[in-house]
Amino acid sequence: MLIIKDLHASVGDKPILKGINLEVKAGEIHAIMGPNGSGKSTLSNVLAGRENATVTSGSVSYQGKDLLALDVEERAREGVFLAFQYPVEIPGVGNVYLLKAALNAQRKHRGLPELDAMDFLALVKDKMKLMEMNETMLYRSVNEGFSGGEKKRNEILQMAVLEPRLAILDETDSGLDIDALKIVANGVNSLRAPDRSMILVTHYQRLLDYIRPDYVHVLAEGRIVRSGGPELAHELEKQGYAWVGDESVAAGVKP
Amino acid sequence: MSAVIQHYQSEFEQAKPLLPWRDSAGWQAWRQSGWSRFAEQGFPSTRHEEWKYTSVAALEKLSLSCAPVAPVSLEWASLKDRVVLPEARHRLVFVDGVFQPALSRVDGLPTGLRMGALSAQSVQDSLRLQGLLEQGQRRTPFAALNAAFMAEGAWVTAGAGVRMEDPILVLFVATQGQRAMHLANAYEAATGSAFAVVEQYLGMTDEPYLVNGVTSANLSEGATISHVKIQQEGVRAYHIAALEAVQKRSSHFNSHSFALSGALGRNDIEAVLAEPEAAVSMKGLYRVSGRELQDFHTTILHDSPDCTSDECFKGVLNEAGRAVFNGKIRVAPDAQHTLSQQSNHNLLLSDQAEVDTKPQLEIFADDVKCSHGATVGQLDEEQWFYLRSRGIEADHARALLIEAFALDVLTGIEPPALREALESLLRRTAHV
Repeated sequence: MLIIKDLHASVGDKPILKGINLEVKAGEIHAIMGPNGSGKSTLSNVLAGRENATVTSGSVSYQGKDLLALDVEERAREGVFLAFQYPVEIPGVGNVYLLKAALNAQRKHRGLPELDAMDFLALVKDKMKLMEMNETMLYRSVNEGFSGGEKKRNEILQMAVLEPRLAILDETDSGLDIDALKIVANGVNSLRAPDRSMILVTHYQRLLDYIRPDYVHVLAEGRIVRSGGPELAHELEKQGYAWVGDESVAAGVKP
Repeated sequence: MSAVIQHYQSEFEQAKPLLPWRDSAGWQAWRQSGWSRFAEQGFPSTRHEEWKYTSVAALEKLSLSCAPVAPVSLEWASLKDRVVLPEARHRLVFVDGVFQPALSRVDGLPTGLRMGALSAQSVQDSLRLQGLLEQGQRRTPFAALNAAFMAEGAWVTAGAGVRMEDPILVLFVATQGQRAMHLANAYEAATGSAFAVVEQYLGMTDEPYLVNGVTSANLSEGATISHVKIQQEGVRAYHIAALEAVQKRSSHFNSHSFALSGALGRNDIEAVLAEPEAAVSMKGLYRVSGRELQDFHTTILHDSPDCTSDECFKGVLNEAGRAVFNGKIRVAPDAQHTLSQQSNHNLLLSDQAEVDTKPQLEIFADDVKCSHGATVGQLDEEQWFYLRSRGIEADHARALLIEAFALDVLTGIEPPALREALESLLRRTAHV
């Protein structure tokens, strides 16, 4: 599904990613953990195509295609989805309009006919039940006046409607209380599928209590310094990130 | 006398025998006085504070013809697709400044509501309207020129308590270049009455022409007038207009202006809150591209206590387009408990676009709440990225964000059918 090879990226003049290697196979969930400033957000941004990070070397192959050569919107239509850490508010653009435009852009790209209004609404309302969202949110502007939890739920709702092949969840647990976290995790778990991969980017192990990853990687100073199974997250929770720094460069192992 | 004044003087002499109510001494004096005021001032130069950012030098050089002419005959079918409310039950249509009875619909009006072409007024009725028209004709040299040449326009009067929800469409179509059309509209709402007028200006020629308009509205106690004005002038057209509303106790004036195309547009809009508890809502949207210029000079006079004004203008500026917003609000010494808010927000979509925005608050009362704010900004990169990250084409995402910014000025337009018609017009005329 996704193969990242020796990826280097800078923000401005500052190198942030310094040689990331990672392979995510279909159906797998990988958690990427790391302290602040380790490069987690830059990695999500590079994968989604945000222009503020510049790739200086390395490659990213997604379903056999050069992901870095695709525009932001092409990546989305090819099935890459980024759930934002801070979803932006867009006053004046209706939530339901965005969902419909996004879904139809993807369907068109895949040579499928556009969904008619009835089928579309039925689909969205079904997914909203899953996310325990009030239907009135459909008719509000995108994220406008939403609470932190509502914004994150809205991200997962979009993911549920768009059914991506590769989802990158950037700090989806941040700012969520325990009830909202359970709803979000429940939504994500329901989207687990043999042909769908996910990357969970998170600072804390808390999210992983609800969404069990297949692999956990520790990112420090722009490199993956430890990889392991879900137990690695618990180890980190107990010992903090300080210990990984010491062994950093030496321990870069692939799962 | 300058060559320009000379040209218009000779136009004035030629036009006199063709103008309505030409035999009335009252009108002759009125027109002569307008002419004198214009001849004294001439076209304003950019040395004039009110015209600092808006040069009419190019307009001055055009020797436009001012006498009424026979219009090109038009079929409704050829206009319909561009009209904002093609199904409007009541409409007045003017082509090249001449009323078109065959294209208009004035039947089936509720009792007490009368409307028609200004020139169809009897001398006696027209003289009664002079006072109303004069309101708007005080302000600029163009209004003085309008007083001299004014030949046609729309007229609507609602008697006491008469309320009509269906908006009246007033359509001005320009098909001939090298001409100046001096239009005057008069709207009167008696006590407790209400109506809505949608004025649409459609340019159908790429030749230069001038629309020089004066619109006056008079609102009696408890009356409501909703006024929507849409400018879609030709690429080389000039549109210069004054709108003035005088408001009595507890009246509501709702004004929406949309300046969507034309080489140069200048609107002077004024609301006089003459008696307590009157309210004005003044909103507008200007869109410029190429080398277009749109200039809004607004004035709200809080002359009485307990009045409210709510003003919001938005601008979308593309390419080398320019805009001017000057928002004056004066609160008279005894206008206590005034509530006033003003905002002007501009979206600059290119490095060459330019806007000059200036709030001008003169507050002489102490127990008031007045706020104002102006912003000039660019498209939000975060919002743009977000939409694209959901698969929406870059250009479509950009258009969506511009639309979201602009359509906000439609808030509050009633009835909903009118709001929807305007929304659809704004969408289909967006050239981004």
